[in-house]
Amino acid sequence: MLENFSFRTIAEYLPLFGNGFVATLWLSIVSFAGALAVGTLLCAMNLQRSQVLKLPAKIYIDAIRATPLLAQLYFLYFGLPRLGIVLPELFVGILALALNSGAYIAEIIRAGILSISRGQVEASVASGMTYSQRMRLVILPQAVRVTIPPLLGQAIVLVKDSALLSLISVAELTRAGQLLASDRFMPAEGFITTAACYLLLYYALKSLAVLSARWLGVRPIRVRA
Amino acid sequence: MIEFRGVNKWFGALHVLRDITLSVEPREVVVVCGPSGSGKSTLIRCINGLEAINDGALVVDGQRLGDRTTNMTGLRAEIGFVFQAFNLYPHKTALENVTLAPIHVRKIPRAEAEASGREMLAKVGLADKFDTYPAELSGGQQQRVAIARCLCMRPKIMLFDEPTSALDPEMISEVLDVMVGVAEEGMTMMVVTHEMGFARKVAQRVVFMDAGAIVETGTPEEFFADPKTDRSRAFLSKILRH
Repeated sequence: MLENFSFRTIAEYLPLFGNGFVATLWLSIVSFAGALAVGTLLCAMNLQRSQVLKLPAKIYIDAIRATPLLAQLYFLYFGLPRLGIVLPELFVGILALALNSGAYIAEIIRAGILSISRGQVEASVASGMTYSQRMRLVILPQAVRVTIPPLLGQAIVLVKDSALLSLISVAELTRAGQLLASDRFMPAEGFITTAACYLLLYYALKSLAVLSARWLGVRPIRVRA
Repeated sequence: MIEFRGVNKWFGALHVLRDITLSVEPREVVVVCGPSGSGKSTLIRCINGLEAINDGALVVDGQRLGDRTTNMTGLRAEIGFVFQAFNLYPHKTALENVTLAPIHVRKIPRAEAEASGREMLAKVGLADKFDTYPAELSGGQQQRVAIARCLCMRPKIMLFDEPTSALDPEMISEVLDVMVGVAEEGMTMMVVTHEMGFARKVAQRVVFMDAGAIVETGTPEEFFADPKTDRSRAFLSKILRH
């Protein structure tokens, strides 16, 4: 079976995959940073008591989570120009990923904050801290710890979702696989290489999570009644 | 120091505080007791605004709660609150727990806050636990850190909400000893507890609550030896039977 598999062609196309790898890596990083910003903002809005900010955030989160990323991407890529807004495809791609992932991240952060017990809020209130001091000194440091694993999961999803950007001709990893597949009619070689590169990114992210957990000094938090 | 005048509070349809009138003088220690659900916790939680009152007036340290001019965070810094469940910050060491509010709320320089934090932890018998995290402490030790955390703010009032109810029996006295020490230094205290020994030793008054109302008030001697109402007699017979 492997006699038909051309390692030589893969080697020949390695520079293309290298470029795709770098592109996927940096556009994922930029998108994830954007998603964190969008998610934090949405979460802050969603935690307000006033419906003026809460309701738009809720509707946005529902709308994003209810619709496919591909539809969102196509809306931005094909729809916006019809409305007079023309953006470069790379920018559209990053925007779509950030807006999409931001909705999920908002819920991850919210769950992290709500997982902190009522007693922690009351103890900090009773000591005379202001809302921002409570958040900064007591709630968020604890919430960050419980949020890291699901955020990492979301980052991995985002990296894989970035494959959709190949459909709007962004030269990333999946696009590299497609090019090899169509230039040389070698889909097996093309997509196995693409997959291997994603696996590499996955392990990079995983070790990053371990490092950040160590850096944040995560200790087992056990609360006695 | 603390004055309730005709205070009422409802949780929805439930009338949890009924026409409470009560005044606590500076340096006075008042023990609040009563059956479960009688409103004792709610009563002291109103004093630092963890619960809001719906009707009447509540004046604490000269400031009327609910007034627009009352600075709640400023007032809360003057009131220590000890919880049944300790509520220590699990991501902070014992020393960090007791210095957090002094540094950030009182704006005391870190070195100074840490010096008095160490002194306070030593005073509650935890001189060897400065760098220990709450999860590694016993319940009694956690509650003593929680008391030290309040004392480090140099409060004018200390409130205790069933401070020994979550503790194993052998740890209760180490916490009560610390509370007796605080009382003997002249702190104004309101303590929700059923610890009769503590009440006899340091309280000037016992307040008995039932169904949201203050039913009886008296000195510990009067109250325990000769309760005036059927309800307080019934309550005392239940907790003293064993």
